[in-house]
Amino acid sequence: MVDATGDERAAARAEPADAAARLRLLRSLGVSGLALAVVGGLALAGAFLPLATALDIRNAIGLAVFALATNLLLGYGGLVSFGQAVFYGAGAYTIMLTWQHWGWSFWAGFALAPFLGAVLALGIGVIALRARQLYFALLTLAFSQLAFVLAQQQHEFTGGDNGVFGEVLPAWLADERQGYMFTLGVAAVSCLLLWRVVTSPFGLTLRAIRENRDRIQALGVNVFLHELVAFAISGFFCAVAGVLFVVHTQSAYPQLLEWTKSGEPILMAVIGGMFAFLGPVVGAFVYTLGQQELVQQTQSWKLVLGLILLAIVLLRPDGLVGLLSSRPWRRLRRRPAPARDGEGER
Amino acid sequence: MDLPVIEISGALNAASSLFLASAGLTLIFGAMRVINLAHGSFYMFGAFLMTSIVGFGTGSRFWWAVPVAALAVGAIGAAVELGVIRRIYGKEHLTQLLATFALFLIFADLGQRIWGADARAVPFPLSFFGSMEIAGESIPKYNIIVVGTAVGVGVALWLLLKRTMLGWRIRAAVDDPELLEASGVNLKLLFTLVFALGSLLAGLGGAVISPQIAVGPGIDGSIIVGAFIVTVVGGLGSILGAAVAALLIGAAETVGTAVAADWASAFPYIAMIAILAVRPWGLFGTPER
Repeated sequence: MVDATGDERAAARAEPADAAARLRLLRSLGVSGLALAVVGGLALAGAFLPLATALDIRNAIGLAVFALATNLLLGYGGLVSFGQAVFYGAGAYTIMLTWQHWGWSFWAGFALAPFLGAVLALGIGVIALRARQLYFALLTLAFSQLAFVLAQQQHEFTGGDNGVFGEVLPAWLADERQGYMFTLGVAAVSCLLLWRVVTSPFGLTLRAIRENRDRIQALGVNVFLHELVAFAISGFFCAVAGVLFVVHTQSAYPQLLEWTKSGEPILMAVIGGMFAFLGPVVGAFVYTLGQQELVQQTQSWKLVLGLILLAIVLLRPDGLVGLLSSRPWRRLRRRPAPARDGEGER
Repeated sequence: MDLPVIEISGALNAASSLFLASAGLTLIFGAMRVINLAHGSFYMFGAFLMTSIVGFGTGSRFWWAVPVAALAVGAIGAAVELGVIRRIYGKEHLTQLLATFALFLIFADLGQRIWGADARAVPFPLSFFGSMEIAGESIPKYNIIVVGTAVGVGVALWLLLKRTMLGWRIRAAVDDPELLEASGVNLKLLFTLVFALGSLLAGLGGAVISPQIAVGPGIDGSIIVGAFIVTVVGGLGSILGAAVAALLIGAAETVGTAVAADWASAFPYIAMIAILAVRPWGLFGTPER
């Protein structure tokens, strides 16, 4: 068949395009179906499981938002920030302090908190993003500690070590089951918005920066600006997670700002898998529920967590989701296996 | 004009503590380009070992307890290097941070299991108990030991790096590890030694500081932050930088307490952020590629 007509050739070319479109459709159907199933399942769990279990899950859902927001920097931007607790704590403190000092309602605080988180992130990002790699990690760590000691020392305003606590939630939200549904709803919306961010051209550019910063810079992309915007978006959603913490506990205290708190979402992302969008969510559940179980049974949570983390880092850098992800899943995501270690970057 | 003797002595003591906690950290980073989040754990072990060895006795055991604690921590460091650290040389900084963060968690748990959750006290050695008079002010005698150890460690490290074959090799490892290995040096052994030495210094720091602090779980996390500030401000890998930064931060802390006590513990962080905003690679460091 040397002399195939133009139509036939076009058809031959169109066929893979059709297949790709079908695959995309299937994929988006699959993704939305999965998302609905997960949210529905969690809603059922919140409605019918024993209250103690439901509360543990509610805690995990809030922390999942924290981990997802942190992973925007970690997994997509390649930025290791040990300062995300600043925005998490700021979210919680915003609600509690505006309530205590000026009698703001929960909703007013909720409206302010994410934007305050984003503005704080812009301010910190402008300074911290000047530094690279280790210096960036340690500089963000310093910001976390700065926020921590400020919250501890300015006790007239922040309540010092005890923090702020009290009946800040409206009555229906203070009900545990309804608070659960609210948490789930906020988390689902946050998740959706973050998904839109990472699949947008902006998210793709961010990933490209992670893969090859110099090249992207040479292509004329303003790398600093992209990283700064990512930092602000992450700060926004970390503060949302902080709000969910208030829904869970009706309190805010200095440990929410400490650098070890900043380490938690990183651990969750790494445990779950930071190169998959939902990896941090899986990590948050494993981390939170695992902690509950282990604390009850052995009281050696840190030991077990440290050993698991060490095993993951040394053996499986792509985490649990990476471990579970089979070939078809990886083909759908169209990403080469993330064996990015040992590139000698130092 | 009266010299502010108390403030100067306090600043020197704070600077010396910081330098002792960070010298090993920066030595290790300088040679192997590994940042060790578990460095504070070695410091904590040094202090904890002191509580076990000196116990609640009169403190006569103090003088031999310090080197024993330091050497024991150095041995732990060697084991950690052999088991974990040597697998993460040259890897991404995230891998290094996570692996050493994992060690930090493991050691925090082990420390609490072995020594309990309550804070312990280490008695001052009798000959350095109480205070002495300098220029009409009374200064804690033990400050001499802390400052003296810090100066001793600083001078010893300088001599080691500049005047001995081992130091020559460490500096060569910083510049070109492959060439060094090709010239017949056992690089693995060298790195194990350097890591053990850095850990030993952390243990020594913890042991020497132990009478001045409440020794309990959590000092690992708080000291590592101070050590990071010093090493990062000084420039990762620079011993001289660590010494200068320790003095700066110690002074910032002391001046901060005198000027605005409410804000005092924020001063070191503000100093760090200000310095890194201008020189993101620290005072004596080199820009990262």
